Amino acid sequence: MNLPRLFRTTAVRLTLRYAIAYAVVMGLMLAALFWTSSRYVDSQLEAGLEQELYSLTGKFESGGLQKLAQAVSQREEHGLEEGRYYLLVGRNGARIAGNLLAWPPDSNIPYDGKVHSVWVEDDIIPGSRYDDDAYWPVIVRELPDGSRLLLSHSVRQAEDLQESMLYLMAFILTMAVLLALAMGATLGRAILGRMDTISRAAGEIMAGDLSRRVPASGRNDEFDALADRLNSMLDRIQQLIKGIREVTDNVAHDLRNPLSRLRNRLEVTLLEDRSDAEYRHAIGKTIEDTESLIKTFNTMLDIAQLDSGNNRKQWSRVDLNTLASDLEELYRPVAEMKGQEFRLVTGEPAEITGSRDLLAQAIGNLLDNAIKYTPEGGSILLRVQRLEDAIEVMVRDSGTGIPESERQHVLERFVRLENSRHTPGNGLGLSLVNAVAGLHGAELKLDDNRPGLIVTLRLARNTK
Amino acid sequence: MHILLIEDDVQAAEYLVNGLGESGHVTDHAADGKIGLNLALNGHYDVIVVDRMLPGRDGLSIIRMLRADHNPTPALVLSALGEVDDRVEGLRAGGDDYLVKPYAFSELLARLEALARRNQPEAQQQYLQIADLVIDRQKQTVKRAGRLIRLQPREFRLLEYLMRNAGRLVTRTMLLEHVWDFNFDPQTNVIDVQISRLRGKIDSGFTVQLLHTVRGAGYLLSESP
Repeated sequence: MNLPRLFRTTAVRLTLRYAIAYAVVMGLMLAALFWTSSRYVDSQLEAGLEQELYSLTGKFESGGLQKLAQAVSQREEHGLEEGRYYLLVGRNGARIAGNLLAWPPDSNIPYDGKVHSVWVEDDIIPGSRYDDDAYWPVIVRELPDGSRLLLSHSVRQAEDLQESMLYLMAFILTMAVLLALAMGATLGRAILGRMDTISRAAGEIMAGDLSRRVPASGRNDEFDALADRLNSMLDRIQQLIKGIREVTDNVAHDLRNPLSRLRNRLEVTLLEDRSDAEYRHAIGKTIEDTESLIKTFNTMLDIAQLDSGNNRKQWSRVDLNTLASDLEELYRPVAEMKGQEFRLVTGEPAEITGSRDLLAQAIGNLLDNAIKYTPEGGSILLRVQRLEDAIEVMVRDSGTGIPESERQHVLERFVRLENSRHTPGNGLGLSLVNAVAGLHGAELKLDDNRPGLIVTLRLARNTK
Repeated sequence: MHILLIEDDVQAAEYLVNGLGESGHVTDHAADGKIGLNLALNGHYDVIVVDRMLPGRDGLSIIRMLRADHNPTPALVLSALGEVDDRVEGLRAGGDDYLVKPYAFSELLARLEALARRNQPEAQQQYLQIADLVIDRQKQTVKRAGRLIRLQPREFRLLEYLMRNAGRLVTRTMLLEHVWDFNFDPQTNVIDVQISRLRGKIDSGFTVQLLHTVRGAGYLLSESP
């Protein structure tokens, strides 16, 4: 898996986008935190300075300059540890006490007892290291005798704190972005992996292995759902292709044989001089054969067209009771001629949306089969029954039936059971019924009537 | 009958023209849609046969043009497309009948003759008669040689259709379409059985047989076979 490809994945692109947004938000958050904490530290320092100034001014008021100088000297010792600096200068500007070596060069500090930010040079800081100079918070007070007191606080500690905070923040930010990137890459890689499996399967199918399926990971996730759908689609395609192959095979058999028979007859007829009657007979037979070839051919096309399932343009409401009674009228005489009892049972209104001609063809085929395979004296029942959510059309006979093992098989094209070889037909009757059922979203079921066959066509009601 | 045939397959058209000629009909042939439409608009034909797929102009549009011109000449559409939808489309365009290729010549001829007769006044008559067989279309009664024959409603419709087309060949599919209103292939010989029942009722016991079977083609109601 190469990097450019990984970067083109949706997962990685999304993650990158999220990582950037995340980094910006987090940066803003950290900046706010940094600013607030700096402000807090500064205000703490300022408050400390103001307090100290107040307390030292108190010393002056109670004991004059001397007491103040004493207090300053006392504090400067541990004041250094805290980073606090003092300077007490006399009226003439000479240093009296304090740990700051000289008055800061910027002498324009207002003597208002408020904290100001003042530039403090390295050379006035005792024991200073290089780079201590900075803007320090400074507070100055002119005492009543003209001497001045300056308090200040090193910002070194605060700066150290800020610095380590900055480092920490940069570290967290970098880690977060890196983590997001790593997660994106993993995600992208995982998705790419799953996609590759599907794409590999598709490739193999295109290469000709139609039985290949997309493997599922077993995690029951969205990819498994997709694989499942794809596999169902592939099943359907494979089934259709199998159907086409079957038709091609069967065309070879069921059309080629009669065609060669037809041609042989014509050739043999031409071999000798024959009487008009003989010629007439041969031509008549040929026309009959062509007729049956055309029928087979048309039925095959009809089934193929029904299977493709896109001719519902001319559908209308069909009353199955009326249709059944029309069909009964048409088929009853044939059944009676064979000495069969033909019964029609209809009941409540049974309207569906569909094609009257196709449904007539389907039920007609079932009746035709029933009459054909039921012996003399047998009985045939055509029943239309309205159920809760469906309308059931049933054709029941007392004929030879279909062995259970063959029931699925007979719905396929050109299948004829061994014992029906001698009866006329092309083996497409039930396949056509099946195709019509499929088009109407109906369920076709074959059952045993012991003896005989029960065929049920279950059509969903309210199919618009 | 004077027939206009609009068909671009010249060889097929030649067979048809010959066949129709041998059956006593005069046929004009147009090999493309424009010429066909011209002939149809300006000539006087008893019936027009039009192929659906034509160079120059689609067969259905010719019929539409004719109907827009208030020309009522019956038209039969020939088509290599055989689905139910196409048939309905053909009839909606103003066609009077629809036949799918490949068809039997006898089927085409029978349908053309039936179409040509459609506009004749006898279609409205109360009594139809052939030899001594009379039907009363209003009362739905049948008499042969003055004797009442009981028929079921559908049998009556069958006989009525045959009477209206008396002396002409009527095919099985025509009967299925007009008597039962079905457009499908019922596989078995259902029509033959229906006819033989009817024959049993109207012909048995009479020396003159009226209902004849024309082998491989259909049926004929006439005094002489």
